[in-house]
Amino acid sequence: MSVLTSKVVVRNQLAFSGDIMQTFYRVLAVALLCLALTALSDAFLTANNILNVLRQAALLFLMASGLTLVILTAGLDLSIGANVALSGCLAASVIKLTGLPLLGVATGIACGTVIGLANGVLVTALRIPSFIATYGMMWMLTGITYYYMAGETIHGFPPGFRQLGSGHLLGIPVPVYFMMLFLAIGALFSQRTIWGQQIYAIGANPIAARLSGVPVERRLVLVYAVSGAMAGLASLIILARINSAQGDIGEDLTLPAIAAVLVGGTSLFGGSGTVGGTLIGALLLTLVLNGMNLLQINSSWQPLATGIIILLAVWIDSRTRRISE
Amino acid sequence: MKHLCIGLAAGLTALFSPPAYAEETIAIFTKNLTNPYFQAVRVGTETAAKKFGVRVIQFVPTKPDSIPEQLSQVEDVIVKKPDAIVFIPVDYKALVPAVEKINAAKIPVTNITDRSAAGDFVAFVGADDYSIGLAVGRRLLNAMGGKGNVVILEGVKGSLTSNNRVRGFTDALKEFPNVKLLASQPGNFQRLNALQVMENLMQSFPQIDGVLAANDPMAVGAIEALEAANRKALVIGINGSREAVDLIKSGKLLASGDFNGFIQGCIGVEIAVRNLRKQPTPKEVMLKPIVVDKTNFAPYDTPVEQRACPTLEEVSTN
Amino acid sequence: MSTHALVQFKLARVPGVAFALITLCIVFALTSPGFATAINIANVLTQSTILLLLALPMTLIIMTEGLDLSIGAVLTFSSIVLAIVAISTGSAVLGLFAALAVGLCFGTLNGVLVARLDIPPFITTLGTLGIAQGLSLVVTDGQSVVGIPRSIETIYSGTVVGIPLPIILAALAYALTHALLYQTRFGTYVFALGGNREALRVAGISMRGMLIRVYAFGGLMAGFAALLMTARLNSAHPTAGIGMEFDAIAAIAVGGTSFERGNGWLFGTLLGVITVGVLRNGLNLLAVPSSAQVACVGALVIVALFIDGLRGEQ
Repeated sequence: MSVLTSKVVVRNQLAFSGDIMQTFYRVLAVALLCLALTALSDAFLTANNILNVLRQAALLFLMASGLTLVILTAGLDLSIGANVALSGCLAASVIKLTGLPLLGVATGIACGTVIGLANGVLVTALRIPSFIATYGMMWMLTGITYYYMAGETIHGFPPGFRQLGSGHLLGIPVPVYFMMLFLAIGALFSQRTIWGQQIYAIGANPIAARLSGVPVERRLVLVYAVSGAMAGLASLIILARINSAQGDIGEDLTLPAIAAVLVGGTSLFGGSGTVGGTLIGALLLTLVLNGMNLLQINSSWQPLATGIIILLAVWIDSRTRRISE
Repeated sequence: MKHLCIGLAAGLTALFSPPAYAEETIAIFTKNLTNPYFQAVRVGTETAAKKFGVRVIQFVPTKPDSIPEQLSQVEDVIVKKPDAIVFIPVDYKALVPAVEKINAAKIPVTNITDRSAAGDFVAFVGADDYSIGLAVGRRLLNAMGGKGNVVILEGVKGSLTSNNRVRGFTDALKEFPNVKLLASQPGNFQRLNALQVMENLMQSFPQIDGVLAANDPMAVGAIEALEAANRKALVIGINGSREAVDLIKSGKLLASGDFNGFIQGCIGVEIAVRNLRKQPTPKEVMLKPIVVDKTNFAPYDTPVEQRACPTLEEVSTN
Repeated sequence: MSTHALVQFKLARVPGVAFALITLCIVFALTSPGFATAINIANVLTQSTILLLLALPMTLIIMTEGLDLSIGAVLTFSSIVLAIVAISTGSAVLGLFAALAVGLCFGTLNGVLVARLDIPPFITTLGTLGIAQGLSLVVTDGQSVVGIPRSIETIYSGTVVGIPLPIILAALAYALTHALLYQTRFGTYVFALGGNREALRVAGISMRGMLIRVYAFGGLMAGFAALLMTARLNSAHPTAGIGMEFDAIAAIAVGGTSFERGNGWLFGTLLGVITVGVLRNGLNLLAVPSSAQVACVGALVIVALFIDGLRGEQ
C-alpha cells in the first residue's frame, strides 16, 4: 500500500469514529421518537405495528443501501425509481409467462443491474455528471416502461413468490431479513474490504485515489451497478407485496430513498457516511410517517413533516460534526 | 458524428410522420399513461374509430396528471386543427382555459369522465360517481347485515371523482344507522398507498367488517393487507377492472362499481363523429350505475381489446 | 483572460445546444407543416416562459455550486397565495406582491440555511420543497383555487404589438438576470463563488451574504413566475409546479452550464429551455406516442451532454 492509500485509510478510520458519533445521535433520535409515539398512541408499541414499521423501513432501506455507495463517491442516482418500475414490470411478465418465480427474480435483479451498469458507463466513459446522466436515464426508463405496460396491470403471482414481500419467518416479515442481510453485507463491504475503502477514497479525493492506484472507473461502474441491482431487488419485494405490477410503481420512491441516505448522515460530497446510518435514516422517516398515520394526521401534512425532519437531521449533523472534530 | 445524428433524427421522424389527414381526425386527451382506466378509454376510442372509419390520435401528458403539460398539448393540437376533440381534463377547474381555447378555435369538443367546470361542449359522457358510490356502498352495507364497522378509502384528495364517490358512500351509510364509520383516509387511488393505509388502520381498529374503496386498485391493496394480517372483511371497489373480476370470482372482493372507461371512450368518439356528420346528438349521456358481482361479471371478464362498442342507443335507453 | 480566449470559449460552447436546437427545428419544420407557423412559434416560446423564469436564477445558483430543488414547489405555493389574496382583496396587484413576498421568504430561508447553517443545498432545498409542497396541500386541501379576477388572465393571453405578453416579461427577466450576472459586482461574486471561493475570502467579501442573495433571487423569480402560472391556468392548483425544478436543471445542463466547475452561460440556459420546449412541441405535432416522448426527453439530455463532453475541455 502506498503512502497515499495508507493516508486515506487513516483518514477513513477517523471518519469512521466521527461516524460513530453521528450514528449514536441518530439512534438516540430514533429512541426518542419511539418514546414519543408510545406516549401519544396506544397502537404504536404493538407487535403488529412495530413489524409493519420494520417492513416498510426495510423496503426503503433496500433501495437506499445501494444508493449509499453511489453517494459515497460523491455521485447521485436519480433513476432508481424508474429502475424499480421497469425491473418490476419485466419480472412480473416473466413470472406470469413462465410461472417460475425464480426466473422472475433473476430477471428483476438482472434488469436492475444492467440499468445500473448503463448508468455507470454514462458517468465514466461518457463523462456525463451523474445527476444529469441518471436523470436522463430516468426519463428513458419511464418511457420504456410506459410503452411496455401500455397502461395495463399485471396481477396475481404465485403464493410462493408472494412470501418475499408479505410472508413471515418466525413471526418476522421476510423483507426485514433482507434488510438485516444487506445491512451486514453493506457494512462489511464498505468498511472491511479494500474495494470499500477505495470507494470512500474516491469520494473523499478522486485525484488522490487515482494517483494511489485505485481503479476509479471500475469502482464507479460497480457502485452504480450495485445501486441498480438493489433497485431490482426492491422491485421484487414490492411486486410480492402488492401482488401486481403497473407502470407507476416506481414513482415517489427516489426522493425518499435519497432522503433516507442523507438523513442517515452520508454526505453528498462523498467520502463519509455508513450503510448503517442509512438504515437509521430509513427508520426515522418511516417512523414519522407511521406516527402521522396512527395519529390520523391529515396526509397533506406528510410532505411538510418529512421536509422538516430532513432539515433537522442534517442541521443537527452539521452541529455535532463540528463538535466532534 | 453530426451526420449520424441528423440521419438518425430524420429516420426517426420518418417513422413517426403521419400521413396527411385524409379522414376525419379526432384528438383524444386523457390524464396519464399508468392508470388502467384511461387505457380502457383509449382502447374504447380506438375501437370506435375503426367502427366509424375515423382516425384518433392520443395525447397524454408525459408527467402523469400534469396540468401545464395538458395545457401545452391542447395549444399544440389546436395548431394542427383536428376535426374534433374528446377531452378528459386533468383537473376539471384548472383546464377551463384550455377548453376556452378549443372553443375559440371552433373545434367541436366532447367532454368525458370528469365534467369540466366551464366551456362549450358538444356533449358530456360520464358515469355518475355519486350514484355508483351509493349503489355499491348499499351493496356492501346490505351484505354486512346492516351492522358492524366500516372504513372508507378515499381517492386523491380534491379530485372530483373521489369527492363524489365518497359522498355516495357516506349517503349509503346514512341509510344504515347501525353501521359505524371508523375512519376515512385517502389512498390516492393507488394500490401500495391503500395497502399501507389499511395496515395502519388495522392497527388502530381491531374490528373492521367492511371496506369501501373508491377504486379497484385500492380495494386490492386493502385485500392484500387483510390477507397478510389474516383478517377478514367485506371489500368493495369501483372500476369493474379485470383484476376486480378475478377477485370477485374467487370471492375475495364482494363487488365493484362499473365505471367503464371503455364505454365512455366508445361513446365519446361516436358522439364526436355524429356531430361531425351533422347527425343529432344528446347533450348528456350518463351511464347507469351497475354493480358488478358474482351474478353478472361475465361481460367484464373479456379484455377491453376484444370488446365491441355499444351503440349510443343501447347506452341511452339502458 | 484575453478576449481571444473568451471568444474561443464561447465558440466551443455554442454547438452543443445550438446544434441540437437547430437540428430539431429543421427536422420538425420539414416533417410537420404546422411547426414553422407564426402561431406555433409563438406558442412554443410562450409555453417556455415559466420554465425560463425558473431556469434563470437556477443557473446562478448552480454557478455557486449549489442547487434549488424547491423552486417548483415555491412557485406552486406562491401561485396559491397569489390566488387567495387576489380573490379576497379583488386586487391582482396585491396578489402579485403577496406572491413575490412568499417567494422571497422561501428563497431567503434557503439562502440562510445554506450559508449560515452550512447545510448542503441539495438537502436544504429538498427540505424546503417538502415544506412548500406541504403548505400548498394543506391550504387548498388538494383543490384548485378558482374565481380569480379576470385581469390576471390577460397577463398570459395578452399581447403587445402582436407579441404575447409572457414573452415580453420573460425577455425582461432575461435582460435583468443578464445585467445582474455580467454587469454588476454581484455577478462577479457569483462567478467567484463557483470557481474561486478563495479569492472572495481573501478579499473579505461576505460569501454568506452573497449566497443568501442568490437563493433569495431564485425565490423572488419563483414568485414572479407564479403570476404567469396563475394567469395561464386562471386558477391555482397544488400540483401545478411539480417537477419543474428538474426540468429547469435539465434545460440548464443541456444549455452547457457545468455542474462541477461553476461555469455558467446564461444564453445557453435560454437556448436549453427553448430546445426542450421545441422538442416537446414538435413531438406533439407529430403525434408521437406519449411513452416515446418520455424517452425522447431523456435521450435529449444525455445526447446533449454527450456532445458537450466530446467537445469539451473535461
